[in-house]
Amino acid sequence: MDNLNIEGTKQTPEIDFDAASGILKISGRSIPENTFEFFNPVLLWLDSYAAEAPEKVIAKINLEYFNTSSSKYILEVLKRLKNILHDGKDVLVQWYYEEDDEEMMETGEDYEDVSGLPFEIIAVEED
Amino acid sequence: MAKQSIYQREIENLEQSKSFLKRSEYSKLELQLEFKKIVENYEELIDQVKIITKISDRLQKKLNRTNEALENSNNQLAELNSQLNETIDQLTEAKIGRRAATIVMMVAIALFIISEAFIEPQIDKMFSDNFIVGLGLKLVVAILIKPGEDFANKYMLRKARKKQLEDAKVQGH
Repeated sequence: MDNLNIEGTKQTPEIDFDAASGILKISGRSIPENTFEFFNPVLLWLDSYAAEAPEKVIAKINLEYFNTSSSKYILEVLKRLKNILHDGKDVLVQWYYEEDDEEMMETGEDYEDVSGLPFEIIAVEED
Repeated sequence: MAKQSIYQREIENLEQSKSFLKRSEYSKLELQLEFKKIVENYEELIDQVKIITKISDRLQKKLNRTNEALENSNNQLAELNSQLNETIDQLTEAKIGRRAATIVMMVAIALFIISEAFIEPQIDKMFSDNFIVGLGLKLVVAILIKPGEDFANKYMLRKARKKQLEDAKVQGH
């Protein structure tokens, strides 16, 4: 299966999904003009990936800021990861936040609660 | 544009339930299954609304705090800018003041030389009490030094400010 790489912009996050290694990275800022247009290929890729995922899948989410509609799509991404988990694969979500960004840390905790996926919430130093 | 909506799946679920409602007959099992599906969808929607609202409120709070910090920075910047402008004005005034004093002093020296070389001999010829007239003339020159300096100062300052405004307009464009 092909990897999924979408370069990040000021409004859209970088997507770096490595099919073989199972490392799925989403990072940057997510305030796209058209959220559907941006996230639909990501969700379609994850739908196809469910059948071909390796034994261990790690989603590394490192978002600086995202809008409300992106928050819905992040939930959709997590839902697809949950499907992979249900297929018997080992799935871990690593949620990164800048150490003084309490809101982003709490948001990670909320996603952990609602998704039921194993989460690691990791503080990173500011650039 | 339902296909392009971020709620595509939810809209599809609703459409399916609406089509089910249009049927003329239902078996008890079909009703149970449809009701179960609707309850599950509803439960999922509530979960989504709960988390999205929570996250949205939190992000709004973050945005608000960032805006406040930005506003504070802007105020500090405006204050510093005003202090800088004040200092620049003071420096310009001092520089112009010095230049005006130099010009007036040179004019006074020129007047003194002209007075000594050309006017005094004429006074000597024209007036009998030439000492008093000569002294009076020098006094007038001396008295005019200060107002002359003020006038030169104001004129040069006005010119410098006009130039500053023009420069600012050019930079603004």
